Amino acid sequence: MNPEVITLPESVRRILDQAQESIPQGLLPISVFNDPDLHKVEMERIFGHNWVFIGHESEIPHRGDYVLRYIGEDAFIFIRDEKGQIRVMWDSCRHRGSQICRAESGNASHFRCPYHGWTYKNTGELVGMPAYKEAYGGWDRSQIRLHEPAQVDSLYGLVFACLDPLTPPLDEFLGGAKWYMDFYHGLGEMEVVGEPHRWSVDANWKLGCENFAGDEHHTLFLHRSMWEVGAIQVPRDRMSDGYHVQIGNGHTIDMGMGPDPDESGIEYMDYPKEITEKFKTGHLSKDQLALARQSVIHVGIVAPNFAQLHLPLTSDAENIPPIPVKTLRVFQPKGPNEMEVWSWCVVWKGVSEEFKELSHRVLMSTFSPSGIFEQDDVVPWLSITKAAGSGFARLKQPLLNYQMGMEGVGVSKPVPDWAGPGTAYSPRFEEGNQRSFWSKWLRDMLVEPSKVSTP
Amino acid sequence: MITRDLRDDLTSALFHEAELLDDGKVKEWFEGLLTKEIDYRIPVRITRERLSGRGFSEHAWLMKENWHSLRQRVMRLDSEYAWAEDPASRIRHFVTNIRLEEGEGSDRVTVKSNVLLFWSRLDSTDFKLVSGERHDEWVREDDTWKLDARTVYLDHTTLVTPNLAIFI
Ligand code: FES
Ligand SMILES: [Fe+2]
Repeated sequence: MNPEVITLPESVRRILDQAQESIPQGLLPISVFNDPDLHKVEMERIFGHNWVFIGHESEIPHRGDYVLRYIGEDAFIFIRDEKGQIRVMWDSCRHRGSQICRAESGNASHFRCPYHGWTYKNTGELVGMPAYKEAYGGWDRSQIRLHEPAQVDSLYGLVFACLDPLTPPLDEFLGGAKWYMDFYHGLGEMEVVGEPHRWSVDANWKLGCENFAGDEHHTLFLHRSMWEVGAIQVPRDRMSDGYHVQIGNGHTIDMGMGPDPDESGIEYMDYPKEITEKFKTGHLSKDQLALARQSVIHVGIVAPNFAQLHLPLTSDAENIPPIPVKTLRVFQPKGPNEMEVWSWCVVWKGVSEEFKELSHRVLMSTFSPSGIFEQDDVVPWLSITKAAGSGFARLKQPLLNYQMGMEGVGVSKPVPDWAGPGTAYSPRFEEGNQRSFWSKWLRDMLVEPSKVSTP
Repeated sequence: MITRDLRDDLTSALFHEAELLDDGKVKEWFEGLLTKEIDYRIPVRITRERLSGRGFSEHAWLMKENWHSLRQRVMRLDSEYAWAEDPASRIRHFVTNIRLEEGEGSDRVTVKSNVLLFWSRLDSTDFKLVSGERHDEWVREDDTWKLDARTVYLDHTTLVTPNLAIFI
């Protein structure tokens, strides 16, 4: 047996043993959604090992601009330094650990620790402390700088960081996911609109992730009221049209497809012509271009906890036809039974102010804490977390069902000769995307991350 | 001029509004108490250094509604599938510190108030408290005071409730 696994607390070992047996059968121990010991292991093995989304470059356009972001439960300063370089730095003083950045966003050339006044440049270097001569007598402080994650990298303006130096680089970690991002994020430069929404939900973070992995089955039922008021107008009986793709490494994409773009009005995910004619498509293959032109809905995750969603919606069905909205998501853990949801609205740079404002507004009306779509999502998530932490769950170890799309369960089949990376299934009624998220989670949970430290 | 009568009228209007919302009469609230020009917003708040102000965003909102988008929200609460509010949340608006400022003309007045909102769901003993200040514009239409604009300045940065399917 792996010696690392022996060090795990009893309850964690029990859940992981059960999961190893059940996940290949499409079953999941409910306890994964609310166990304090399991949560501690996740902080090390999931968030100490994987690439985690930090933010979008457009959030910090000027030198010195910063925002506070989280890897797992740890605060990091996401900043553009005085030389224009994007950095991620642990928000803890090198002297005795105090938090040095106490605002959520701002612009700073220096950060001064409130405890004893150690002062850092926005590049992370320690450059001063009060009474330096008297207290430290010329001690060489030049080697001291704020801790940084072992790796920081970006793709199409999306910045990720990874604490583990032995995790493969970002492009390898994303793997085939890049192929799918090429024909969305790669069509042009994107920018974040306004500050992100942040709200606290008494539910486990993985419930958000597995939902955004691609779950049309819940859209039909939980979100039924959206068709009643006309907020969504993609026909309800066409919701299963399209593809679920299990890209590998736990990453997924889920695309809802419209009719052939050459026969109808839809083109490029329903964006208006003034936007699509600026798209850069030279880098796309024929297959990528075809998918880009014909897809109407994009949902998916980059494991462990980054998600995206694009679909056409309206906040006023009587007067305004649906327009595309796009959100980036982080489901940030805060203990075993609480998460903070982060949601960014993004648009392509150079879209008209009208489009930007309307898309931002429609996103807020549908996918946000007050959004009429998202109001309902938290209802099951809260109760699942409660059930998962119950005495019944600990005693009986019940298994949840994720079998849709497995042999003998449902109608979805692998798409033969799929042009992109990963395995695609159609129609979209299947839970392979969830199973791939859970398989990756389980693989991570069985391995201790490297503890190699930064200088 | 802010007379005692005017103050009484607006205080009654605010308390009447709170009663409708607390009793789940959202449709009556929407149809009877709002003008067609209603501008209802809740800016996102972020923690900023003191010198940078109080942290209310000028670019992001938890709600930024006009009459039409409010109508879609209210209509959707009527659905059999409005899971967020069925069973309905138990809410209570505590409205205090009412301050009036003269508006343009005798039929328009600016009203500031503090609001504390109690929120609980299902059979749980847990509850959340949402606190904030409201800046309203009320106008007199056919002898009835109606809400023409409201901005809710929350005392929270990260929102404490898992959703916001109610009105503050
Ligand atoms: S802890 Fe930061 S200066 Fe002492
Ligand atoms: Fe949903």
